[in-house]
Amino acid sequence: MSDQPVTNVPDSRLGSSWVAATGSWLPAVILLLATIVVWEAVVRIFAISAFIIPAPSEIAQSLVAQWATLMQATLVTAGEILFGFLVSVVVGVAIALVIVRFDWLGRALYPLVVLFQNVPKVALAPIFILWFGYGLAPKIGLILVIAFFPVTLSMLAGMQSVDRSLLSLMNSVGASPTQILFRIRVPHSLPNLMAGTKIAATLSVIGAIVGEFAGASDGLGYVIQFASTQLDTALVFAALLLVSVLGIAFYYAAEILERIVVPWAPKFSQA
Amino acid sequence: MRVETIRAAGGRPAHIRHDDLISAKGVSVVMARQLVLQNIDLSVPKGSFVSLIGPSGCGKSTLLKVLAGLVNPTSGSVSIAGLSPVEAARKRMIGLVFQDANLLPWKNAVDNASMLLGIADKSLSRTDLRARGQEMLELVGLGDSAHKRPNELSGGMRQRVAIARALALDPAVLLMDEPFGALDAITRDSMGQSLLEIWQRTGKTIVLVTHSIDEAIHLSRHVHVLGIKPGRITESLDIGLPYPRDLSVTEDPEFVRLVVQLRTMLRASHQPGGAS
Repeated sequence: MSDQPVTNVPDSRLGSSWVAATGSWLPAVILLLATIVVWEAVVRIFAISAFIIPAPSEIAQSLVAQWATLMQATLVTAGEILFGFLVSVVVGVAIALVIVRFDWLGRALYPLVVLFQNVPKVALAPIFILWFGYGLAPKIGLILVIAFFPVTLSMLAGMQSVDRSLLSLMNSVGASPTQILFRIRVPHSLPNLMAGTKIAATLSVIGAIVGEFAGASDGLGYVIQFASTQLDTALVFAALLLVSVLGIAFYYAAEILERIVVPWAPKFSQA
Repeated sequence: MRVETIRAAGGRPAHIRHDDLISAKGVSVVMARQLVLQNIDLSVPKGSFVSLIGPSGCGKSTLLKVLAGLVNPTSGSVSIAGLSPVEAARKRMIGLVFQDANLLPWKNAVDNASMLLGIADKSLSRTDLRARGQEMLELVGLGDSAHKRPNELSGGMRQRVAIARALALDPAVLLMDEPFGALDAITRDSMGQSLLEIWQRTGKTIVLVTHSIDEAIHLSRHVHVLGIKPGRITESLDIGLPYPRDLSVTEDPEFVRLVVQLRTMLRASHQPGGAS
């Protein structure tokens, strides 16, 4: 390291990353298109029944035919995911803060949180339906129990990895534990928290679909279940496609949030 | 070292070195059942530049932590202008600089420079803090990098911000633990030279832990050599080279003589010794 300023201008970095990104996406796009073509060909050549494997063209037809229903269901599911995700982040952060700030409470709480993590959450879905009915509440509950853990764990890791000599500096000027928590530990944990948030975003989609499977009268999970009982496999695939699109959308929303919240994080500083 | 016995008001004799800012008497530290420091007597005159040098494991960093109030001595006492190190730190008399700059990556240079001051003195407004931070950045030669984040600064510049952060407290003493240890040789030399200039401009007392013989002689007025097993002061050397010094001092025959002398002392300090 010399005593010269490091010149990494963010704008040029972003520009070059876009070029690099399209270059790195290209093979994936080609493979996806090839898969669709082969899929279509195989279904037609072997005359596979549409209720076993529908051809991509049949899925597209179903998507267009049921567009209004599917969009309405997508909106319902997206609402559950967003609400559940936000609740998971708030609860996950709160648990992490309590564990770090109140030592004795943390020692009581942390093992229980880990223990709870080993409960198969999917199995809780019927119980949540029993407790909270068929509305929004059981879905939010299910997303919460599935998605809060990576938030808590990642934030804890970030808060606990503050350099000891930085803590020494703070202690030497008489900083209080609360000052150290909010001025040092919390901002220091944000890059980790953002990584955990992205995992939580993905898990929220799973939580919402599982919740709808267990009992719902609306949403993409309900459409999937209903369509499969009707042997309308093309509609199942169409709904699955929309679930995937939702998952990708939430993931990238979390990624954009990360760039806004922690532009200083090490992952963005490597030119 | 002028030591005189005077009669204090209470009538009891007291040892007072009236030009010493820091005085450690009989400091021993036991950590994990190991004697890390044994019976250290150290006095640092006000306004002087003192270096502690010694092999790895001699406890020089621990000694610095004792002076900073971060480690309590198992026996013995330390006084900084008559206060305990912890009291002195609370009164913002101690500025600390470590090998790692430990800047907050989410704050720019000027906010990093004023960060500790903001914690120490809650009455200061944001504007006051910024002004003070900017003033300190200018003192360390980074006046025009105030709005850069740490990831936009080089290792040497980050360490300059760390020095500015310590100086912002306006401490009586600057305690530095291998502050240039992670920097390359050229940067290290220029940082040392800057530190000398800062020292002469501010009149701070500086205690520097280093493992560089050249650095110790180039910068300090007094060098204390620490030996291992247990950590203890084996030798002390006064550096008579006149200030202001610049890097050309390294070509001075007296500098070369001192390097040889200090190297010999350091070699001897690698030998474990029981009683000193």
